Amino acid sequence: MASDSTLTKPRALPLRPGAAPRAPGRVVALTGASSFLGANLIGLLEEDDSIGRVVAIDAKAPSTAGKKTRVYEVDLAEPGSEARLAEIFAAEGADTLVHLAFLGSPTPATAWVHELESVGTMHALVAARQAGIRKLILRSQTLLYGAHPTNPNFLTEAHPLRASKEEPFFADKIEAEAEAARFAERTPGATVTILRTATVMGPTVKSFVTRYLSRRVVPTMMGFDPLLQFVHEVDAIAAFKLAVERDIPGIFNIVGDGVLPLSTVIKLAGRLALPVPHPIAETLTHLGWMAQLVEAPPSFLPYLRFLCVADGARARDVMGFRPAYTSREALLDFVSAQRLRDVKLLVESG
Amino acid sequence: MSAKKKTPVVTAKSKAKAVASKVVAKPEAKAPAKVVAKARKSVRPRASARPPAAVDEHEHASPTLAASLRDAELGAYEHEHEGEGDAELEEASVAEEIRALEARLDRLIVEAGGKGEEATATATAPRSLPTSSRDGDAEGTVFDTARELLSTDFYLRRWGRLGMRNRSEEVDDFGYDPVYDARVRPVFDFLFRRWFRVACDGIDRVPSSGRCLLVANHSGTVPYDGVMLKMAMLREHPSKRDVRWLAEDFVFHFPFLGSFTNRIGAVRACQENAERLLRQESLVAVFPEGVKGIGKLFRDRYKLQRFGRGGFVKLALRTRTPIVPVAIVGGEETNPLLFRLEAFSKVLGVPYVPITATFPALGPLGLLPAPTKWRIRFGEPISTEEYSAEAEGDELLVGRLSERVRASIQGMLEETLAKRESVFFG
Repeated sequence: MASDSTLTKPRALPLRPGAAPRAPGRVVALTGASSFLGANLIGLLEEDDSIGRVVAIDAKAPSTAGKKTRVYEVDLAEPGSEARLAEIFAAEGADTLVHLAFLGSPTPATAWVHELESVGTMHALVAARQAGIRKLILRSQTLLYGAHPTNPNFLTEAHPLRASKEEPFFADKIEAEAEAARFAERTPGATVTILRTATVMGPTVKSFVTRYLSRRVVPTMMGFDPLLQFVHEVDAIAAFKLAVERDIPGIFNIVGDGVLPLSTVIKLAGRLALPVPHPIAETLTHLGWMAQLVEAPPSFLPYLRFLCVADGARARDVMGFRPAYTSREALLDFVSAQRLRDVKLLVESG
Repeated sequence: MSAKKKTPVVTAKSKAKAVASKVVAKPEAKAPAKVVAKARKSVRPRASARPPAAVDEHEHASPTLAASLRDAELGAYEHEHEGEGDAELEEASVAEEIRALEARLDRLIVEAGGKGEEATATATAPRSLPTSSRDGDAEGTVFDTARELLSTDFYLRRWGRLGMRNRSEEVDDFGYDPVYDARVRPVFDFLFRRWFRVACDGIDRVPSSGRCLLVANHSGTVPYDGVMLKMAMLREHPSKRDVRWLAEDFVFHFPFLGSFTNRIGAVRACQENAERLLRQESLVAVFPEGVKGIGKLFRDRYKLQRFGRGGFVKLALRTRTPIVPVAIVGGEETNPLLFRLEAFSKVLGVPYVPITATFPALGPLGLLPAPTKWRIRFGEPISTEEYSAEAEGDELLVGRLSERVRASIQGMLEETLAKRESVFFG
């Protein structure tokens, strides 16, 4: 899927040679630079004068790369990416690593995901340690807390990550967080910030949740109506920018204010809910997932039954993160764009 | 209001469109008819600022379809650029204009199609069912209409947006929906005033503001006590404070019942939720007996079960919240529980299957509460001000306070029961 010969090519050179003069300022390296958050964050960092250079690392080049950005095509899922990353970090003199190389949606290619997310994070962090990177920002998700009947209404950062370990989508991300904790432990003086974002919602973001809410008929669990929480894409990007700017070690929940019941979410989106009795939902989802008819495997069903809402107080008080959009506003912003997409008035490029 | 007004116009138009496309046989004549409908659509919304004279002008315009069309479009174009200068035009004239345009469209359709009369007949009676006397064309028209009515879009619009009328777009942090609550309140008002005829004693002991913890006995197979406490505060207390009561896990996650109680104010019982609510200075009701209280057998009624590990006392000490003991009499006889069947509990996801005098003998109806007379007594508040924040670690103190609250509730229960003459009349 990725460029298979990046390693054999003697090309540790940037794709855009000579584009970035050795400007003073910080050098920020991003893995997963072509992801939604990565591409948008590059756009923000490009405009920031305190940032000297942006080192974008991904299996494919981000479209937002500007003058300050140097692009390297590295596939973290490949063996040997560790040495290559260390080389790049050292050559560029990177001081900050923003690790965003995570999938936004579950995929049936679980073996590859494990290589990318769990092993890939290990590679990236070992390389960062070798290159003496002092600051790490890791993307995580509030989904990892897991939806359990015993959850309180608001989960704080101190709550253990209890998402199903049998689901690679969660397990690999939990392992990645553990890798980040190990990095913090072994690198004295390093700043490690883990941002657990709620479901990112907005007019341009694409994920399994936006696809779920774009269906005409949205399956739900009969008799259950959990509260959901979103964070607007602009706020999510701003949170990462804030973490790059300030040295704020720790774990933070990045969430929008307010919650919405699932039924209200579906009604606001102008969709129809299809309640499915939960004893048969597991089997149906399993079949649907195998046939690629549904957006997520059965291990995501608890999120349609039980609460998984995080408390954003710590990000507000310690980090100074103030979301501009509430959960509802983020959803409505997505819905207004989705309406245009429905009638083909809005066509995405790429 | 405006949506309601528009609906018939839209149906008539789409109807006419359907008629035109079906009835007209020749393809070259079919196209203009469709365009007319389109043109009219573009004229209609902008009609508000149009002088009525313009309509007459159009009436005498060139009889050919294309010419009149061009006119109409031109008119619309002019109109767009006229601005809102003459916006004060009467609504009546607008309606008249629309009617005139519609009449013209009908005429055009009649001219274009061979079977003009039949087409108009169908257009004027859009909801008539196909009869055997009709020919194939007319039946097709009806089916077209039916298809439009049955299209998913129609229902998506209806059920999607319209479904929001019974709920607010925003619930509070714990899932309470004020619009939905107001909607179902008449039912609980009926239960409060007519069915249980709830009487309250000493409700003034609940403070009008600030955090407070109500501790009550739990009862009644199907627990109505949380809602009745809420109603008591709303109807009898001068401050009309909202009560947030803590519901056991199995109620909170019971299909339908759980999300319903959540929307009207229940919160899942756990320390974190209660603490957060109290720190927001709200009035919280807890039932320390928990599931054991709901599942009390009839012979054990009004005998308080164990109060757990005194979690509510720790909570009150930590947040420095006064405790008001509450005794609810009447609730324990609404669904007299004879047996607890625990054989199917795993399968059904409930702690036990209740066997009452009427359930499951009468089916779901058997779960309706008996119209017992309720009396809610509020005891003297127990202050936690004098203890330090570390006092929650003091197990002796926690046990002592817990026992004090328990004794207070039990005392009030027995006192009220002794005075009570009848279960149903108080």
